[in-house]
Amino acid sequence: MTSSRRTVLTAGMAAAALVTVGAPHVARAQARPARQARMVPHGDLNVLDPIWTTQNMAAYHGAMMYDTLFGIDANFNPQPQMVGKTDISADRRTYTFELRPGLKWHDGTPVTARDCVASLRRWQAKDGAGTHLFARVADTPVVDEKTFRIVLKEPYGLLIDALAKTSTPVCFMMKAEIAATDPNTQITRHIGSGPFKFVEAEYRQGSRVVYERNPDYVPRSEPASGIAGGKRVLLDRVIWDIMPDAQTAASALQAGEVDFFEVPPIELLPALSSAPGVKVEVFNKFGNVGYCRLNHLHPPFNNLSARRAAQLAINQEDIQRAAVGNPAYYQVCGSNFTCGSPMGMEDGAEVLMLKSPMAERQAKARELLKQSGYDGKPLVLLHATNIHVMNQTMLVIAQNLRQVGFNVQLASTDWGAVVTRRSNQNPPDQGGWNVFFTWGGGNATSNPIALSAHAANGKTAWFGWPDNPQTEQMRTEWSAAPTLEARVAVIRRLNRHMFDYVHDVKTGQWVGPVAYRGDRLRGLIQVPEVIPWWNVERYA
Amino acid sequence: MTQDTPATGAAVRDFLRRHPTMVIGASMLLFITLAALLAPWIARDPILLEPVNRLKPPSADFWLGTDSLGRDVYARMVYGARISLLVGLSVAVISILCGSVIGLLAGYFSKVDAVVMRLMDGIMAIPSILLAIALVALLGSSVQVVIIAIAIPEIPRVTRLVRAVVLSVRDLPYVEAARSNGTRVAKLLRRHVLPSTVAPLIVQATYICASAILTEAGLSFLGAGTPPEIPTWGNMIASSRVFLQIAPWTIFAPGICLALVVLAVNLLGDGLRDRLDPRISRRM
Amino acid sequence: MTGYIIRRMLGVIPVMMVVGIFVFSLLHLAPGDPAAIIAGDNATAESIAKIRSNLGLDRPLLEQFASWGLATLRGDLGVSIFTQIPVLTLVGQRVGATISLAATTMLVAVTIAVTLGVLAAWKAGSLLDRAVMGLAVTGFSVPVFVVGYILVYFVALQWRWLPVQGYVALSEGLWPWLRQLILPSIALGLAYVALIARITRASMLDVLAEDYIRTASAKGVATVPMLLRHALKNAAVPIVTVIGIGVALLISGVVITETVFNIPGVGRLVVDAISRRDYPVIQGVMIIFAGVYVLINLLVDISYSFFDPRIRYS
Repeated sequence: MTSSRRTVLTAGMAAAALVTVGAPHVARAQARPARQARMVPHGDLNVLDPIWTTQNMAAYHGAMMYDTLFGIDANFNPQPQMVGKTDISADRRTYTFELRPGLKWHDGTPVTARDCVASLRRWQAKDGAGTHLFARVADTPVVDEKTFRIVLKEPYGLLIDALAKTSTPVCFMMKAEIAATDPNTQITRHIGSGPFKFVEAEYRQGSRVVYERNPDYVPRSEPASGIAGGKRVLLDRVIWDIMPDAQTAASALQAGEVDFFEVPPIELLPALSSAPGVKVEVFNKFGNVGYCRLNHLHPPFNNLSARRAAQLAINQEDIQRAAVGNPAYYQVCGSNFTCGSPMGMEDGAEVLMLKSPMAERQAKARELLKQSGYDGKPLVLLHATNIHVMNQTMLVIAQNLRQVGFNVQLASTDWGAVVTRRSNQNPPDQGGWNVFFTWGGGNATSNPIALSAHAANGKTAWFGWPDNPQTEQMRTEWSAAPTLEARVAVIRRLNRHMFDYVHDVKTGQWVGPVAYRGDRLRGLIQVPEVIPWWNVERYA
Repeated sequence: MTQDTPATGAAVRDFLRRHPTMVIGASMLLFITLAALLAPWIARDPILLEPVNRLKPPSADFWLGTDSLGRDVYARMVYGARISLLVGLSVAVISILCGSVIGLLAGYFSKVDAVVMRLMDGIMAIPSILLAIALVALLGSSVQVVIIAIAIPEIPRVTRLVRAVVLSVRDLPYVEAARSNGTRVAKLLRRHVLPSTVAPLIVQATYICASAILTEAGLSFLGAGTPPEIPTWGNMIASSRVFLQIAPWTIFAPGICLALVVLAVNLLGDGLRDRLDPRISRRM
Repeated sequence: MTGYIIRRMLGVIPVMMVVGIFVFSLLHLAPGDPAAIIAGDNATAESIAKIRSNLGLDRPLLEQFASWGLATLRGDLGVSIFTQIPVLTLVGQRVGATISLAATTMLVAVTIAVTLGVLAAWKAGSLLDRAVMGLAVTGFSVPVFVVGYILVYFVALQWRWLPVQGYVALSEGLWPWLRQLILPSIALGLAYVALIARITRASMLDVLAEDYIRTASAKGVATVPMLLRHALKNAAVPIVTVIGIGVALLISGVVITETVFNIPGVGRLVVDAISRRDYPVIQGVMIIFAGVYVLINLLVDISYSFFDPRIRYS
């Protein structure tokens, strides 16, 4: 009979459905392990090699499972981490490093000097500061199991700073046979010596990353400070939940389903701070610095007057209001090097006319544009629509430029397409571009060598390709300067000079607070470019 | 010729009573279309941004408040009607036209049929939203591209519909007779086949229109929709979703409009289908 | 019957080829370079070029298509450009979540819609009919993500009845699995209620007008059992058809729902992959989706013969 056949069919389909999704078990009590924390990071961990890529997510991953020779502390001073004893020769050309005792890889083998030298060599091939340093390195001999040397051709004051920095790629130590991988190919095995172990079996690209405590890790005796000091792990597991939707992540934090939300949209902060148990705090006080890159290779921005017109037209205050909104979290800055940092000098900022009314600035800008002989050809603005700050900023920049007489065309795409198109050196109407926007970490931007965007060596420079030999000379001068005062003096001249020829246009600085369950977690460490999970404990 | 005006009045009232869904739907649409056409006269520039004015609640100056860039939400809503309706209509027209042509050819010429239907099956097999996202990534984000990206996945269904009608009509005796008489194919199709397709196509067009307006909102949500400078209800909702708790007017204004237009188009479609479908009208 | 099935399955091959060519050309013609994206913001053009060549992305397009096509036929869908994890593994990790969501959504949608459709058809022409259909259409008119946010705001945040987001595998318990899926399946299911209800109503009306129903009614068979046994069974064909079409639409709807409710499914996998231009993942998932769609439609066609003995395939 048809009805029994139908019953069979229905039952069959139901059974099939259940089997597909897994055998049903008796529901177990879902007790959350007491020492576990869940974080929603700013992005997805899709590259597991923190040397091969400069992505920040890879650096976060690295900080969990790898360790460094040196690390910066809370005052940005480099401190020894894996290194026990450092010896610098009298002529300052030979550095001898001896590793501290107890360092082991996650597979149980001890960390040797050979591993460190191999890791250094691979890192310097991909890192700006590293390349700058190793151009002056004669040799890196291994003295014994625990000791190695860096022998320089000439003194280089910033050697240890380069090894300690947190701007990407960070100088993480890997096993020699893994570090032997060609720098332009990703590593395939992940064995570190850090305070956490990466649980590869539970890794789900785009959805979840799991770390567990490394019981064999021997922390230093000093208290934790920055990424230096003793990395004492007080949690058993740390889980990163990758959530693409900010609204969902905020709701999850409020409901207690996650403990830490790295980049809550500024607009959601009032709702989050008033939610019970949630704490909103600025961890990275250097925040981010926005820069609007102009293409120096093609008209109109190969012309100085046109660049100056754009520099005057672009309104930092409006951009920050639109992109960030809350004045407590942003500031207008007259420096190319992170206001508030030791290098944040504002010499030369008068040309920006930051205190003058917009109408006056726009009038001057129109004049400069006319002087430049601009022919009215449309400017191609690369507009990334899927990242909030970029989306808002570019819309304001477009209006700013239009208002002083530029003919503006927005090429609205996703960030991936922008990243591709910005590397195209052809004229804008042949696949190139005139203007694009991105930002850098405040810490990295405060350093004229560490941030590749500060270079001005023409076609081999970072996107925008500014060409100015004086800038390059001053950068080298900065790195050779022996004291902080000497470096500041150089920066003052460099800053003025960069505004003079319009290297690029900075759009202001902002900080992004994090939101976390202050009623459950404590001990979070504030350091730029990395989120440390050692020292953090769950107390409720 | 009996009572002229009273009969017309009674006929209209009778029409209203018997087809309320169609009337409601049509009047809502008419109102919104009028507002869209009159946009430059009833609202200010929707693109002008003034970050100083960001997220202001509704006031005498800004009837529906401002968004995160200080743009007038009411103005963007009114201009947004233009784009949303344009997207809906264009997608419907393009998919109906292309689908009909392909369907007619496929139904009539069996050699074309085999190839074309495999192609259509292939397009139907690809999830429409993924196809749309990929097309927008390929061709860049603009209203034209979004229209094409939404229209393409709709074409196969229209093709099937028309093809089915052609197949059923093709072998009828009077059509056979016309063919053997030497009537040209085009005339044949136009005179005998097309009329049977009109009714279901009109109904299908309304559903496609409604679905297109919603899909545009979904694409904007996923970041693959119309460029954010141009106001559409879809991208207004999508870009304001973080403001649900602090500035709900930025979402509710376009959201309600979207829902109303989609509802109106659906009601119109239901009403037309009831009217044009002989089986239902027989029962009523 | 068997002959029909075999012919249909052979017909699948050209369809899949069309899908393969379409998807491959679309991706490789699109601007966007995975090498530049992987390299990160601080990288130079030179290092990006080296990465691109290492990944084989600078080979001629035809060569890349040939090697991908042949590998796919062997069942090897390649590895993610980013993590080097095989595409099939990635899909396998996430397919449980998507199927769970799709199944519960279909259950919710079909249950509500068939009930509404039957109700509307039974009282066709009345106020109840119009109200019920109006309600169904309203559910369709609001975008899924808006419904989702509203549900989360009230049900999850304010009243704390259900979780905000996330997914728990069935292997960890029936209720934990179910409670994560309630809100997403309602949000997504409402969009399909109108479609299914409309078809149900129309086909029920067709059947109710048939002679044998009127005979049964005249003979005094009680209304409800009659509706269910005779009418619904025969209206099943178009209903099952639309469910088949619904599956294709469901895949599209699932993408948005997975994003709003943070369900780690295949939909999100492919959206993330598109923004990163992770070609092998995008191509592989599209092929799999297309295959599933084609298979389900085949099953739907075959199921017709169970429901309606008048339909037979030679």
